[in-house]
Order: sequence, then structure tokens, then C-alpha cells
Amino acid sequence: MADSKYFSTTKKGEIHELKEELASLDRPKKKEAVKKVIAAMTVGKDVSMLFPHVVNCMQTEDLELKKLVYLYLINYAKTQPDLAIMAVNTFVKDSQEPNPLIRALAVRTMGCIRVDKITEYLCDPLQRCLKDDDPYVRKTAAVCVAKLFDINPELVEDRGFLDMLRDMLSDANPMVVANALAALQEIQEISGKEVLQITSHMLFKLLAALNECTEWGQVFILDALVSYQVQDSKDAEKIVERVLPRLQHVNSAVVLSAAKVVLRMMEEVRSEELVKVWSKKMGPPLVTLLSAEPEVQYVALRNISLIVQRWPSILANEVKVFFCKYNDPIYVKMEKLEIMIALASERNIDQVLLEFKEYAQEVDVDFVRKAVRAIGRCAVSLEKAAQRCISVLLELIQTKVNYVVQEAVIVIKDIFRRYPNQYESIIGQLCDNLESLDEPEAKASMVWIIGEYADRIDNADELLETFLETFPEETAMVQLQLLTATVKLFLKKPTDSVQRMIQLVLSAATNETDNPDLRDRAYVYWRLLSTDPEAAKDVVLANKPVITDDSSQLEPALLKALMEQISSLASVYHKPADTFVSRQRLAVQTVDTLAAARSFAEEDVAAAAAAAPQATGNGAPAAAAAAVSSAPVVDLLGEDLLGDSTPAAAPAAPAATPGGLDDLLGGLDVAPAAAAAPPAAAPAAAAAAADPFDLLGGMAAAAPAATAAAPSLPQLLGGEKGKGLTVYGQLKRVGGRVVYQLHVNNGSATSVDGLMLQVNNNSFGLAPADQNVAVGTLAPGARGSAAVPMAYNPAKLAQGPANMKLQVAMRSNQLGVFYWDDNIPLAPLLEEGGTIDGQAFLAAWRGLPQEAVQKLDVTIADVEAAKARLGAVNLFVLAHRPVPGTGQDALYVTGRVFGSMQVLLELRLMRGTPGVDVSFKSERQELAAAVFAVVRSSLT
Amino acid sequence: MISQFFILSPRGDVIIRRDYLGNVPKTSTETFFRTSKFYKAGDEAPPIFLVDGVSYLSVKDGGVHLVATTRDNVSPSFVLEFLKRISIIIKDYCGSISEEAIRKNFPLIYELLDELLDYGLPQNTSTEALKTFVLNEPTVVAPPASLKPLFGLSKGPTGVFKSVLDTNRTDGKRRDEIYVDVVERLAVTFNAAGHAISSQIDGSIQVKSYLAGNPPLKIKLNDDLLITRRDGSGYAGGGGYGGGSGFSAGDYAADSSLVILDDVNFHEVADLSAFDTERCISLVPPDGEFALANYRTSHALRLPFRLSIATEADPASDHKALVRLRLWCDVPADKAASGLEVELPLPGHVARVHCEVDAPGSAALAGWEFSDKTHLLRWRFKKVSGGMDLSMRARLTLTKPFGASLRTEVGPVNLKFTIPMFSASRISLKYLQIMRKDRNYNPQRWVRYVTSSNSYTFRT
Repeated sequence: MADSKYFSTTKKGEIHELKEELASLDRPKKKEAVKKVIAAMTVGKDVSMLFPHVVNCMQTEDLELKKLVYLYLINYAKTQPDLAIMAVNTFVKDSQEPNPLIRALAVRTMGCIRVDKITEYLCDPLQRCLKDDDPYVRKTAAVCVAKLFDINPELVEDRGFLDMLRDMLSDANPMVVANALAALQEIQEISGKEVLQITSHMLFKLLAALNECTEWGQVFILDALVSYQVQDSKDAEKIVERVLPRLQHVNSAVVLSAAKVVLRMMEEVRSEELVKVWSKKMGPPLVTLLSAEPEVQYVALRNISLIVQRWPSILANEVKVFFCKYNDPIYVKMEKLEIMIALASERNIDQVLLEFKEYAQEVDVDFVRKAVRAIGRCAVSLEKAAQRCISVLLELIQTKVNYVVQEAVIVIKDIFRRYPNQYESIIGQLCDNLESLDEPEAKASMVWIIGEYADRIDNADELLETFLETFPEETAMVQLQLLTATVKLFLKKPTDSVQRMIQLVLSAATNETDNPDLRDRAYVYWRLLSTDPEAAKDVVLANKPVITDDSSQLEPALLKALMEQISSLASVYHKPADTFVSRQRLAVQTVDTLAAARSFAEEDVAAAAAAAPQATGNGAPAAAAAAVSSAPVVDLLGEDLLGDSTPAAAPAAPAATPGGLDDLLGGLDVAPAAAAAPPAAAPAAAAAAADPFDLLGGMAAAAPAATAAAPSLPQLLGGEKGKGLTVYGQLKRVGGRVVYQLHVNNGSATSVDGLMLQVNNNSFGLAPADQNVAVGTLAPGARGSAAVPMAYNPAKLAQGPANMKLQVAMRSNQLGVFYWDDNIPLAPLLEEGGTIDGQAFLAAWRGLPQEAVQKLDVTIADVEAAKARLGAVNLFVLAHRPVPGTGQDALYVTGRVFGSMQVLLELRLMRGTPGVDVSFKSERQELAAAVFAVVRSSLT
Repeated sequence: MISQFFILSPRGDVIIRRDYLGNVPKTSTETFFRTSKFYKAGDEAPPIFLVDGVSYLSVKDGGVHLVATTRDNVSPSFVLEFLKRISIIIKDYCGSISEEAIRKNFPLIYELLDELLDYGLPQNTSTEALKTFVLNEPTVVAPPASLKPLFGLSKGPTGVFKSVLDTNRTDGKRRDEIYVDVVERLAVTFNAAGHAISSQIDGSIQVKSYLAGNPPLKIKLNDDLLITRRDGSGYAGGGGYGGGSGFSAGDYAADSSLVILDDVNFHEVADLSAFDTERCISLVPPDGEFALANYRTSHALRLPFRLSIATEADPASDHKALVRLRLWCDVPADKAASGLEVELPLPGHVARVHCEVDAPGSAALAGWEFSDKTHLLRWRFKKVSGGMDLSMRARLTLTKPFGASLRTEVGPVNLKFTIPMFSASRISLKYLQIMRKDRNYNPQRWVRYVTSSNSYTFRT
């Protein structure tokens, strides 16, 4: 049996076929059909419209089929909560089955359905299962408590489930203990309350369970032990004694979690002897982690780099194991290098240097640079080795490889700062390589060296002069160094030519620059030199403080925080957890919040209506639930249909007057702004009144509001080209997705069906997620609406500069294929949640090329309201600050365009005064015009 | 915990997807693929990265990406180990892991995932225990030829593609067999003078069991095996498995008859009560593949290759140079290295290369190639037996005149090879007993050794 056939592409009428197969009485056929549905679901096709049909297969003796149906339910219950209720009865029944597998399956699946109405029905079965005779059921129920807590914490506390969980920590079965513990830890995380306090009694039980558990359970237990407050050294000793054997485990997670416990206890005990003994036991297991796959090695290395900072003795003699292998992935090599620097000592420096030198001749440029820096850092931190490091650097400079030389110059500057007046003899060799310096940092370093040792370099003035020739083109870093170096030179060797140089530099730095730092520094020097040259000497030529190598050293407070988070993501990112963890759980879906998400549900109305009576067969609760839910369903759909496409209440009318349809729609296009949507237009009108010049803008705002109340889609196809078919449509954003709203009007003489949509390659990678245009069969004169969900498909991404064109093809079974061109409006492509943090914004802003700028002719009186309006079109204001001295406000705004393209905006405005200056930056500059249009329409 | 688990094909298509917590957007599959594919400046993406508050953890196996996403501060090695375990379980049940194997078995894999992960928390991950819960029949898929590693190049036993569910068969086609593989990966660096300056073996005893009814096993290793930790810097001696006697390697290093391991860890099924005295491990092997023991050592290695390299000017032309390599294969004559590759990086100013090879007849040269882009010169040999001696000459045409610095710019030489039935550490299985007293029960037992290069480098 080869199941891959299920992944073959959607054929026409597939959904229909599936429906029939799902209703089949032949069980294998039914099972096949459910498998096809799951396959479609996996690849991201929307098969939610099959919900009632799949749920009907749920009551079966066939466990395999049942599992498949449950899998489907978990995925779609969220979007169909009212229909999911239909399944409750089966769940409740299954939770009392004699077969423990089915009991566990039922309680597990129920917990995954995050619909609050279902949770009420979950409590009784859960209570039973927590006390089940079978450990498999109990362990599943334990996890289910955490799931329930996430949906409804009050319910969990009211029903006493937390106490039951705590009792389960004494369960005879280690799997149950592990899951109860994991569930409690999870609840503690979610709630922020301390629901799991480890007492010394509980500690004993956990330590006992440690030996029996699966490896995953062992990690849960070890992580819980870390939070235990030890009473005294004895306590700590007892724990470590039980934990040490875990360091020999094959699973690296167990080893690291055990190491975390031991490291924690090392902070607790006073006895140096104990710390020494434990340190010795930790070394070899940590080294063994480096024999694992590169992924595991990477995690181990990131952790080890923290551990060696806190406890250098643990691996002090192991530097050799961190030597890079020729074929290590680059991310492993970089980490090893960092640890080698940390472990380098006077004893092993010769070996280490030999390695660094070897790495400095490899091919990967980043790695080579880092290796050269590593040599410099060793020189700075190991005084006795400095001379040897310098000779290696000089050898490397002899290779004349451009980036090696530049990197070497940079670190030699650091060495000079660490050991002033010791190694100047090598300056001559550096000066031979001036022409290969083209990177700012290397140039600045060399200039600093020349300035600092101007009195010992015979031709310092000539050297500086060559650099000065390009002064105006240099980066600020180099300019500042040149300025200072020239002043130093002048103070040390005040010759005539130097005097000319200094005048040149000072005037260039004060008159011809717009960099305030450079200008200010130049003025300070100027003043100093002109008033008191002796004071200038004291200031400029003062002894500098000696530097130390701290580039890899973490702040003690940060290191302490990270040591407590060993073997967690924080220890990999070297950032405390609260900087990247946010407790963001999907809110429980309720029927009300779904209104927006329900955009293509027409088909399901009928299905739901058909399914409801069947559900009554399942017993009282389901029937009641169905009754409760059916009312909102109808309401909802009423609203939705009104909002989206054909007015549901009015289909009879257009159908009765087929001839006048176009007219009618045309009329609708204009009418709503004036009449059909007076409530929506009112605020806009008010705004317009406030600013008489902006009447048109006001109308534009009213128009989108009106589309929400009645269809007013532009015509895409019609007349001769349409062979009688008229299509109206537009891309819209509905419920967080891009959909192609289509309204098809069959003016031909035949029935039309099998409508399918395809688009040509476009600048955004837009493609229909489901090609079916779900309007069913359109009789002559009939009309239908559908919303085709669009998805991102990289294969559809057109190369070249972005344009807003979309070429669309639609086929029908009767009339063949139609083509039309549409414009892609940008607004629907802006994604919810497309915000980034301020740091990322700044970095991106700096990194991007010149911005596009436009002055928008709009007036903002109330900045807060403007922010809200931008937010409504998914443009997010990251920061708002006044521009000093201008009375203007600056807004920093970002948004993400479909296909993960971040756009960055800066808005400058004067409250109440017409005109907003918008600067735009993005990797795709061509989007500027479209983004300006969105900003304009949202603000007016 | 784990928010989502998904498997992506080499082209980024989703083949398996489960969402557990619902707090990570569905587009995460694309975000992952794009971020890892276009990691900065073409560097290989690390196995863990953070995008928009979501951490992506992934391993790659059989060409597919197994990915977990989370918003919590989880233990990363926990998640990575778990992903690795999933890939082993897929291999155990489907015979191999590849896009095809997963697509053909997706209901089975969803069924397994149901048991493996609940609410993002790992549950039962033993291949053996999972059998109870699985109803789907596997479709066994052998890996595509392009992905099939040479025997032993990957860490696990290869060449066996069958599902553990086979042991449930009662139709008479069942074959009881057990494979015990000693797999060693060598990392050796030689300095320019030809001395090994660092050498390490990462070894593993891999068991792959298809024995119905799981009879107990007894495995005996060399008597002269010594497990120790280095003593010189104050490490307390002691067995790597906890406790043990106070050997110090220094005393024994000179005695080459000993097999010395620096550290060993054992799978939890191993019963080590007779290990201290007899070097015997008793176990009841669970179905499927697992590492009975992992070890590492840097002692008394048998290094299978030595090499010398010389770069000299061509007296006839100052735009030519000659590189001579001589390679000795130091394994016993009845063993042979397969798939030997000798890789030599050359400096950027080498325009053309012409090669000649002197090798005994059976060590047929499979070919040589020089890539303008990567500046790598590569020789490939099909089979090189112990005791053979190969000479390679490369005539380089340079774009600038020969300089002495060329000598340091050529190299380092990197070797790739696999030597079946050879263990560099000399560790060996003295016997493998299946403890079932039944005259008719005689399952097949396969004990194999393989040593392959992890990183075998000669500096110049």
C-alpha cells in the first residue's frame, strides 16, 4: 500500500468525490477517503468544508479510522467550534470504553480541541481517567490537565485537578510521575503562580523516580530539581550523589540537565573540596558531548562557553578537544574558537597558536578573520605569550592575503594598547602593507598606530599625508582617527609641513563635514592648540588606560542569570529567557471571534444543516449543543454573506431580473457611499467637514467602509470576452488571509460549473490555495459568489522589479478558459502581526539603501487616532517621538507584506498642518508608491 | 514545550505537520525553510535560530528536515535529541527515512506521532513499546541511490532496510536476525612533519535487532579493555560507567596490548554487573536500532593511512610546479579501504592541473578532478588494500611565477575513506550469545566492524 498517491494534485470535483466516498458504507473506501483528506490537510489545502462528513465517520469500531478522524478534528475544530460539538458525545462514550487505548485516545483528543464549549464536557471524563486503573490512561490524563488549564484555568482549580496532579507525583508508574511533573511545570509557566513547590519529601520521591523514568522524564525531573531550595550542604551532596550517574547517559539532554543540577549545587555548597571533586566528574561527560552530531555539539559548545567562564577549572586541561576539525560546520568552528581562547593558558599557548595559524590559512573568510582576532586576544590576555602571538601575526602578514593583513593590523593596535612601548619594533613591517588596507576599521587602526608612535616613525608625516588625501571620502571612524593622529603628530613633531597638514585637517573637519562628532572634536583641538599647546599635550598625549580582553566575557550578572538557565535556549542565545520568551497562547476560539474567519463557508451552511439532525442521533448533549449552536451559525452566516459577497437576503431579487443585473450592481457601486452605508460614512463625513479641502479623501475612506456593507467589486471580465459571463472581483484581506473575492454572473445561455482559478507568476508569489471557485453550478441567469483563499507559493514568484499586476485565468467546464488582468492592491497583502522590534527596525533601516520620499497631502490632527488607523491596515507604529526643535512628530512604522517582505516607514508631520512627509525603505523599493497609497488612504 | 512539529522535503514542501499549542503561525514552515536556506552570506544555518520570537530547532536526515518550533525556553538538546529519535523511529518502522518513505507511510507516521508527542511533551519513544499502538502497515522503502551512504559513512548500521513490524509477522516470511555493528569515526590531524598531533576515535556499538520475543543477549568485549580517564592533570581514575578501580592511563599507555577508552556511556538496557570482571554486557534488546554504547578514545590508535607531500618548482618553466603525494595504507593486507578520496586544496593562481597516478593494479583510480571554483583537486580510488603504496603527481600551471610560498598554500590534504571489518581502536566482540535454550532457534547473527574518516587531515 503506497499512501503517497494521496498527495497527487487536486483534480476537479475532488471535494465532491471525497464527500461521496466519506459517506460510503464500505469501510476500506471510507478509510481511504479520510486518508486523502488528511494528506490534503498536511500540504495546506483547506478541507474544512468536509468537516461534517468526516465527523460522521467518527462512530466506528475501527480504531485506525477513529484515529484518523480524531486527527482531522484536532486540526479543524478551532475553525468549526459549533460543529465540533457534534463530536462531544462520541468522546464521552469513548472515554468509558473497555479498551484503555480508546479511553486514552478520547481524553487526549478532547484536550486538543481548544473550544471552550467542549471543555465543559471534558471535565467528567478527565476526572475518571485521572483515576483510571491503566497507567497509560493516567499519564495521558495528566497531560490533559495542562491542556485544560491553558483553555480554562478556573475550571481546573474548581475541579481540584491540580491537587490530583500533585498526588500523581507519588504514582507507582514512572511515566505517570513524569507527565504529572511536566504538566505541573507547564501550568506553573502559563500561570506564573507557584503550583509546584518541591518539598524535601517530594524531592525524595523524585530522586527515586529518576532511575526508573524514560530519558525524557529524567529531564523533566532534573529540571525540577534545580528549583529545589537546598537546606544545607548535606542536602546538596545527597542530590548530586544521585544525579552524577546521569552524566553518563547517552542522551545529551539528560547529560546537560544533570550538569545543570550539579552546577547549581556547586553554588550552594561551601566545601571547596566537594566543588573540586564534582568539577572533575563533569569534565569528561562534557567532552563526550563533542563526539555527537554537529547539532548536539553546537548546543554543548554554547553551554560550555558559559561554564568555562564560571568554572574555568572544569575543562582547563582539555583545550585539545576543542581544536576544529577540517569538516566541522562553520557554526561549530566559530564556537570552538571562542572556547579555545577562553581556555588558552601559558601552558598550552604554543599548541593553540599553531592551530590558530593553521585556521588563518583556511578558505572561509569569516573563520579566518576570527582566527586572526583570536591570536590578538590571546596576546592581550596572556602577557607572557604576547611576543609569540606577535610573531605569528607577522608571519600571517607575510602571506599578503588582504583580509588577513587588515585583521592583523586591527589586533596589533589592541596589543599596542595593552603593552605600550614594548613591541614598536614591528611598526616598520606594518607600514610596508599600507596599500592593502581598504576597510575602515583596519585603516583607523593603522592611523592610530601612526599617530601614537609619530615620534618613532621617521616618515610619519608622509604616511599620514597619503591617508589625508582621501579625507573627505573616508568613513567617520577613519576621519576621527586621522584628526587625532594629525594632532598627535603636530604635538610631537611641529614641523612646517605638519603645520600645514593640521590646518588642512582642522578646516576640513570643521567646515566641510556634517558629522557633529567630528566637528566638535576638531573645535576642541583647535581651541586647545590655539590657547595652550602645553595643555594640549597633557590632554592628547596623556597615558591611556591599559585594555583587557573582555570581548567574550559576559557581565557577571548576566553570566549568573545564564548559569541558572544552562541547557535551555537562553544558554544557546546567551540572552536571558525573558528577552525572547513571551507567553502567547492562542486565545480560545469562541463563536463570536470567528465571525471574521468565516469567509468561505457557504457550502458548510447546507452541510451543517444537514448534519445537525444526524447529530441528534448521538444523544442528548450533542443535540442540545447543536440546538444552541445552530442559531448563531445562521446569524453569523447572514452577516458574513452580507459582508462578503452576494447579499444572502436578496438572491431572489436579482435572479428574477436577470437582464438588469449589471445595472443593479453598477448602481450599488455608487449608491452605498451615499445611501446604503450612512453609519459608516458618517465619521468620514465628519472628518471631511473638519477639513474642507479633503473632501475627496473623505469619500475614499467611506468607500471601503461601504464595501463591507454591500458588494462593490470592480468588473474583471464581461462583454464578448466573457462569452456571457461577467466576473467582478478584488483581492481582499479576510480573517488574516488574502482571498480573491469573486462574484460571477452567468449571462450565458448554458449552465456553468467547474469554475477553477489560476494565476500567472507575480511579484508577490500569490497563488490560489484551492483552485476551486466554489460557486457550484450556475444556471443561466444565476449568480454566485466565492472567496478563493490565496496562499504564498514561492514557485509563483516572478523575478525582477515588483509590479502590481496579476494575470488571472479561470476555466469553466462549458465555456472554456477566460483571462483577465487585475491590479494587486497592497492593503490586503499587509499581514497582521507584521511588526518587528525597535532594534530590528533600526538595524534594518540602517542596512537598507536610500529611501523613497513622498509628501502626502493629508492632515493629522490627532496622532493617536492616526496610529490606530495605521494599525487598522496592519501598519504598526513602533515609536513616536517629537523631532527636536521643529515641533514635528515622527512616527516609525513597519508592516510586513505578503511573502515576508518587511517595509519600514518614517512619517513626519506637524499636527493640524497639511502635509505628511513619508520616507520609505524596503528591500523592494518598487513598493514605495503602493505603500504611500495605503498610508494616504488610511490617514484620510 | 514544542509548539509544532513538521517535516519538510528537500524543496521545502510540507510532508508531515502537527500543531500542538497553536501559538506559532502556520507560515512557520516557510519561515524556517527560507531562513535556513538563505542564512547570512551562504553560511550553513545553525540547528537553532530565533525568528520573531519563535525558536526553530531542526535536524536533517535522509534529505528531509525534521523541525520543531517553540516559544518557550526549552532545553535545546532535549528537542534535538527528540527529533533525532523521531528519525530513528521512522527508520525502524519504514526501513529508511526519505521523502518517499514518509509520503508512502504518512498515516503510520501520524499514528506514531500521536504516541510520541502529546501537547508538545515527548512521551513514549521506544520503538518496541510503540508497536502496541500502531495499526497501519508499513511500506518499506529503501533509500534512493543518491542518498544511500557508502556502508558505514553514517553513524548507524546501514544496508538493512526493513521494518521492525516484520517481527510481528506470522506468515513464515519472518527472518529473525540481529546486527551488532562496531562503528568508529576517526579524527586525526598530522602536522607537516607527518606526526599525528591529535587523534580521536568516536565509536559506537550499534545494535539493530529483529528478534521475535526479545530473547536476552550477552556480549563480551576484549579482555584487555581499559576504561579510564586521563590522570595526568588530576582526574580521578575510575570506570566511565561510574565507580570502578583507580587505573591511570599513564601507567598503561606504554603497554600497547591494551585497548584504552577515555569515556564510555551505555544505553539504559545494558546490565553491567559482569562488566568490571569479565567485560560482559547483558541486555534484553528492544526492537529496532539503538546505540548500546558510545565511546571515545585518543589512545593507541591504529592509523590506517600515512602520507607525504612535496611541492617543487619545475626547472623547465617558472609558471609550472609539481606536487608529489605518496600514500601508504597501513591496515592488514586482508582489509581494504573503499571509496578513498584524497582532497587537495590549491591556491587561487593555479590555472590548470594535470595528474598522473602510480598505483598497484587493484587500487584502480576511479578518477581525478579539479574544480576551478573551489580550487580543490580530488583523486578517487575504488579499493585500496592494506600494504599498498600509491603515488600521485600533479603538474600545476600557474598564472604567476612560482614562489616559495606556494608550498604552504598547497593543502591541507584531507582523506575520506571507509574500511569495513576494521576497528581502529582494536575493540572487538569476543562473542554474541542469544540466551534462549531452544534447539530450533538459530537466528542470524551479524557482527560487523567499520572505521570511517570523520576528519583525516595532513597539514602542509
